[in-house]
Amino acid sequence: MILYLVRRLLALAGVLLAIAAVTFLIFYVLPTDPAAAACGKTCSAERLADVRQYLGLDKPVWEQFADFLTGIFTGRTLGTGQFAVHCDFPCLGYSYENSLPVWNLLMDRLPVSASLAVGAAVLWLLLGLGAGVTAALRKDTATDKALMVGAVAAASLPVYFTSVMLIYGVIRVAGLLPYPSYQALTDDPLAWASNLLLPWTALALLYAAMYARQSRGSMIEAMAEPYIRTARAKGMPERTVVVKHGLRSGMTPILTIFGIDLGGLLAGAVITESIFGLPGIGRLFYGALVSSDQPVVLGVTLLAAFFIVVANLVVDLLYAVVDPRVRY
Amino acid sequence: MTKRTQLALATAVVAALALGASGCSDPKKGANSGPSAANPAAANDGKTLGGTPVKGGTLTVLSNQDFAHLDPARNWVMPAMDFGTRLLYRTLVTFKAEPGKGGSELVPDLATDLGTPSNGGKTWTFTLKEGVKYEDGSPVKAQDIKYNVERSFAPDLTGGPDYAAQYLAGTEGYKGPLDGKHLDSVKTPDDRTIVFELKRPVAEFSQTATLPTFAPVPQSQEKGTQYDARPFSSGPYKIETYDRDKKLVLVRNEHWDQKTDSVRKAYPDKFVVVMGLKGGQVDDRIIAGEGADASAIEYFNMRPESAPKVLPKPEIKARLLAESQGCTVMLHLNNSRAPFNDPKVREAMQYAVDKEAVITAGGGPALNEVATAYLPPALSGGKQADTLKIPASGDPAKAKELLKAAGKEHLKVSLAVSTGDKGKAEAFQQGLARAGIEVVIDTVDPGAYYDVIGDLSTTPDMTYTGWCPDYPSGSTWLPFVFDGRTIKDKGNQGNYAQFRDEATMKRIDEINAMADAKQANQAWIDLDAEIMKKSPSIPILLERKPLLVGPNIAGAYGHPVWTGTVDYGTVGLKDPSKSQG
Repeated sequence: MILYLVRRLLALAGVLLAIAAVTFLIFYVLPTDPAAAACGKTCSAERLADVRQYLGLDKPVWEQFADFLTGIFTGRTLGTGQFAVHCDFPCLGYSYENSLPVWNLLMDRLPVSASLAVGAAVLWLLLGLGAGVTAALRKDTATDKALMVGAVAAASLPVYFTSVMLIYGVIRVAGLLPYPSYQALTDDPLAWASNLLLPWTALALLYAAMYARQSRGSMIEAMAEPYIRTARAKGMPERTVVVKHGLRSGMTPILTIFGIDLGGLLAGAVITESIFGLPGIGRLFYGALVSSDQPVVLGVTLLAAFFIVVANLVVDLLYAVVDPRVRY
Repeated sequence: MTKRTQLALATAVVAALALGASGCSDPKKGANSGPSAANPAAANDGKTLGGTPVKGGTLTVLSNQDFAHLDPARNWVMPAMDFGTRLLYRTLVTFKAEPGKGGSELVPDLATDLGTPSNGGKTWTFTLKEGVKYEDGSPVKAQDIKYNVERSFAPDLTGGPDYAAQYLAGTEGYKGPLDGKHLDSVKTPDDRTIVFELKRPVAEFSQTATLPTFAPVPQSQEKGTQYDARPFSSGPYKIETYDRDKKLVLVRNEHWDQKTDSVRKAYPDKFVVVMGLKGGQVDDRIIAGEGADASAIEYFNMRPESAPKVLPKPEIKARLLAESQGCTVMLHLNNSRAPFNDPKVREAMQYAVDKEAVITAGGGPALNEVATAYLPPALSGGKQADTLKIPASGDPAKAKELLKAAGKEHLKVSLAVSTGDKGKAEAFQQGLARAGIEVVIDTVDPGAYYDVIGDLSTTPDMTYTGWCPDYPSGSTWLPFVFDGRTIKDKGNQGNYAQFRDEATMKRIDEINAMADAKQANQAWIDLDAEIMKKSPSIPILLERKPLLVGPNIAGAYGHPVWTGTVDYGTVGLKDPSKSQG
């Protein structure tokens, strides 16, 4: 188990390094020049060179990459003298636009994205698994068909469509909720939940539909296994058969996709955050992309990769809990 | 950029959907124009909405994004310049708080007058008013203005106007005061006198002194790049909280004295800027005007998609400002290579373009009007010249004739536009097809557009952008757009036509050397007509600034100098008790 963990952690570091290198290289070949963007409209060649030097963009790409990697472990200093800016460990770079370390920006916005992702995940698991298991247990009945038609319909609706429809229906027409504005959970839990209700619903609808279809398939397969028949033959109550044997076995593939989905969303749901005006990592990323704030784009990309890789690792470890046949 | 990750791809799609990037999307805008009698479709042009405000209450500003910079040395984006100089810091000179033509009149702000030129216009002296204080009650000193002017040279304090570098003498190699070095060409003989020594006569230096570069920053408050998050106030408000990209709250600066300020009225007790909202939602919220939104104004333009919800309804249209932005949007022809290195072909393009179709594609006459010259109306006496007298829909027959004479009857040319301008690009395509000109459209992500067209190795045959003066003077317009010496291989800005004409460059130098502002103004207008004959670019349209205000807003007008943005110095509320905050 420990050896397995060490191997996986090393692989994790390797994946993150590769992603950082590729992202860095892509920036290097892009036509956008962050120095020119920061410098202003009528920037003279001399000033542009000064700005490029200040931002460290005059160095060869490998040297910039080495500075970036070193900064993650030791921090970095931008500029010299009294007003030089220090970017503390773990320095993921310094935002040209916000004049703040990327790490601080990410940590400032993480609670918003995490609130959105975790809340939506709870909702979609409840809805998706509930619908999927019900449909599987009532296979080929009207309930099954109705649930699956509903799931196909919900999965076909892009999140920007459902978001806009929810805003229109719930906020504008019915006036049931105000326009969302993020409130911290620690400040006011009720306001936190009511402001996130619509974004949660918009995200959850899409994912719940996919999870319903996936869990229905897994459950049908699991419930057809010989050990289910054996359990029933032993006179085990049907609830125990379904929950302890059917659901547990059918959950393995669900767990796999759940890890990737939640990991990806923790680093920001770009469209949902943008439409609902939530100041999360997704919106930060979108703004950085539009304004060529490359350190932020790189930071978010790395954070997203980190969450996905870690979520995958956690999922792999959880297999052993869910499925007794798996051992590390 | 869009291929970096799946997430990035999704974002780019949103960017394409969300950014109705206009041709005049360059943020450094500034100009004025009087009310346009020619455009009845424009709502409330040159009017003040809601009557005189009552003191008190909280005014909300709804925005889709954070300010680019609020540090006065770095603030060069039009709405932010209006916001910063009207609320947070004062400048030596400023513009009158009036809609229409009156708004472009200069008035002293920190200074007692508009400055005194000497030495043939090469030396400018300003005397500061007595009793002007910062938010901590300490006096504003001439040394603080000198210090901020010097800050504009620092390579870490990027993004601000570079007029100090252009005009001041002895600035070669100067890299700002952060390492303790100061400029000899800005002198402060005492706390209330500041003297600028220029490298050449600058007739309109009083106008230059309206820029945030000429606001005070005491050296004791220096925080380098972090100053952006907390500028020290010399204006009527100070920052209470600033959560970047989320919310800015301004409260009264109790040390600001109305008696020293002839411009700002400071009606609300508080300004709250809510950032990161989706453009369409901001429009919807202000249209509905409920709760705190009744006391809200929008920071960025109303989206063209919202026009049908506003224009047909008189009660909502009455809350729409649509001042001219004072910028000219142009189709730039790449003069550096065939086919547009031939003046005959360029002239043919003037006749071939269908400007009316482009205006329709841009939201119709309520949001745009036809441009007939390069200089925006405010720089040519309130009305643009029309030297070529070509119908707005063009004259394809004449264009064909000119192309035939040039021996180029069948042209195939490329046009790059920002994603949001695709509709306009198609209008160009159809219009030019009437004269036998085939156009291949290339749409570029808004974030990369100016980099692509500013790189001489990637710029296509035609590009579509606008240019706005930083203040109402031809010197902030024609030299930036048509002086061949400004062309750079990479990061080329302004002269997108790559127009390099000896006679034009010589004339620019001559006009720049004129000590008489009126004479220079006429000379710029004459030069505009001369350049029109050579057709390096084609003036297409003048955009308006559509801004909605809530039903409880009073004293709102689009200020002509700040591209039609609401004058933050005089806007307020009808009934402060109805505001929430």
